[in-house]
Amino acid sequence: MTEAAVALAGVTKFFPVPFQRRSVTAVRDLNLQVAPGEIYGLLGPNGSGKSTTLKIILGLVTPDGGTVSIFGQASERVASRESVGFLPESPYFYKFLTGEETLRFYGKLCGLRGAVLKERVARMLDLVGLGSAGQRRIGGYSKGMLQRIGLAQALIHEPALLILDEPTAGVDPAGSRDIQNLVLELKRAGKTVLLSSHLLGQMQEICDRVGILCDGVLLREGALSELLEVETQTQLTLENAPRSLVDEIEALAARSGARLVQRGAPRTSLERLFLETTSGAKQSDPPNKRDA
Amino acid sequence: MHSQPHRVFSSARFAAISGNTFIGLTRLKIFYVLLLFALLLIGSSVFMARMTFQQEFQVLKDVALGAMSLFTSLLAVLATARLLPQDAEDRTIYTILAKPVSRFEYLAGKLSGVLTLLAVSLIAMSALFFVVLFLREQSVLSETARQMSGAPAEIQAEAVRAVRTAGFNSNLFSAIAVIYLKGCVLAAVTLLVSTFASTTIFTTITMAFVYFIGHLQSIAREYWLQTNSAGWLTKTFLAVVALLFPDLQIFNLIDDAVAGTAIPLTLLLKTIGLGAFYIVFYLVVSLALFFRKEL
Repeated sequence: MTEAAVALAGVTKFFPVPFQRRSVTAVRDLNLQVAPGEIYGLLGPNGSGKSTTLKIILGLVTPDGGTVSIFGQASERVASRESVGFLPESPYFYKFLTGEETLRFYGKLCGLRGAVLKERVARMLDLVGLGSAGQRRIGGYSKGMLQRIGLAQALIHEPALLILDEPTAGVDPAGSRDIQNLVLELKRAGKTVLLSSHLLGQMQEICDRVGILCDGVLLREGALSELLEVETQTQLTLENAPRSLVDEIEALAARSGARLVQRGAPRTSLERLFLETTSGAKQSDPPNKRDA
Repeated sequence: MHSQPHRVFSSARFAAISGNTFIGLTRLKIFYVLLLFALLLIGSSVFMARMTFQQEFQVLKDVALGAMSLFTSLLAVLATARLLPQDAEDRTIYTILAKPVSRFEYLAGKLSGVLTLLAVSLIAMSALFFVVLFLREQSVLSETARQMSGAPAEIQAEAVRAVRTAGFNSNLFSAIAVIYLKGCVLAAVTLLVSTFASTTIFTTITMAFVYFIGHLQSIAREYWLQTNSAGWLTKTFLAVVALLFPDLQIFNLIDDAVAGTAIPLTLLLKTIGLGAFYIVFYLVVSLALFFRKEL
């Protein structure tokens, strides 16, 4: 049997309320497994326990009960983080460093050095579209650029598991799309991605499986295709169909006892409309200058 | 992924954190303002007294070593106090500790970065101090030689010896080493406070109290060890002060160096030993607190 990339069993976490004899339950009896090579989305409203769960997985917060493992290693062991890359929500890095220096610093923390480190830094900067901004101080980076350099530092040691906390929060739609595409690329490269977000549209597009957390409890979990399927309905999408054909199908459906729920032209999403409109205007701009 | 087994302590990771901390601190404006202020004070000390050359050298050394001690202590507290709260606020602590970096490597690397900064700034101040002292000594020597040109050779030699004794002496190195050690101890205590403090200002204010209590610690310790008549509350209070706070008074060997009194080697070694003990002790306590800290 393949070992889970992340496995949580009966994880519970309380946070004591200062100067009071009570505590707040952040996560309650959480059981969750992320299979290698999949994109798992942790969904939930603000304060539902998503970030706490991620911090527990990373060993930044100690659970009050339960066990957590990463590729079979207990997550409280520092060695387990050899195979993990993490991007926190709205990250800020050392403003006095350039993008290149930042990646070099994180690379050294992962044991990289010399020519390997140099090559990896250059490759990661290119991967996230910051090739030409590598010599600039982080203090002058936009929100989108910070998010991209955050992704680059998470990937610097080529981890097998990537944990992203709200990776597209505060990023414009184009930057957000770039990050989504990058996540899909990583999946194709065999990486496992665990991400948390409350941007449901984005999660729906990229996740294989999702879990819905609310008040620290995992309410629903499963493959996205199964969770979203309305079992009693069937959808047909026709192109260039004459009106008479559609009327005929509708009549046929009525004769067999089925009820037509919806009829009309499908609509594009606002995001797609925005991207199509703005990409035409920005065709002449190189991609890595989008946020500059 | 790496095939090499994970090492509990890596000098490369430690050096990366230490170097990064040092670079970050040297790019702070406050560091240059403080350093400039200290250098100006040391440089201007040469103009402060025009009495006998003994008094002049004494004032010069007193002001310079005092400025170095004050600046080093201030820098140790201010530089260390911001490290952990800043990293927590910017969430950089998450990105660092999410890498295969132990909390020990992180804390020790941070402290090492501050100690390197203290060493570099103290070397810069010492260099200026020795240049000023050397120039004044040469000036006084040539003036003495001019004034005593007609005197017998033995009297001239005696006068030169008196000038040299009042000017540069090797005890100054001991005094500077002790100033550095005091700065290191203060940095270690500041690191300890910042492991449970959430803001830089809290740590700085707490350290102001620690600084003053640390200079009175020896009195509390003596009283705690010797008195039997005090109530349990007083004895507990004195025990807390004596056991938890560093004895900063032991680092005040500057006066001996200024006066030209030789600092006994055993006293110097004891001071260095106690300083090293304090640094290790506070680092271990910091670690114990930091290991349990929820980030």
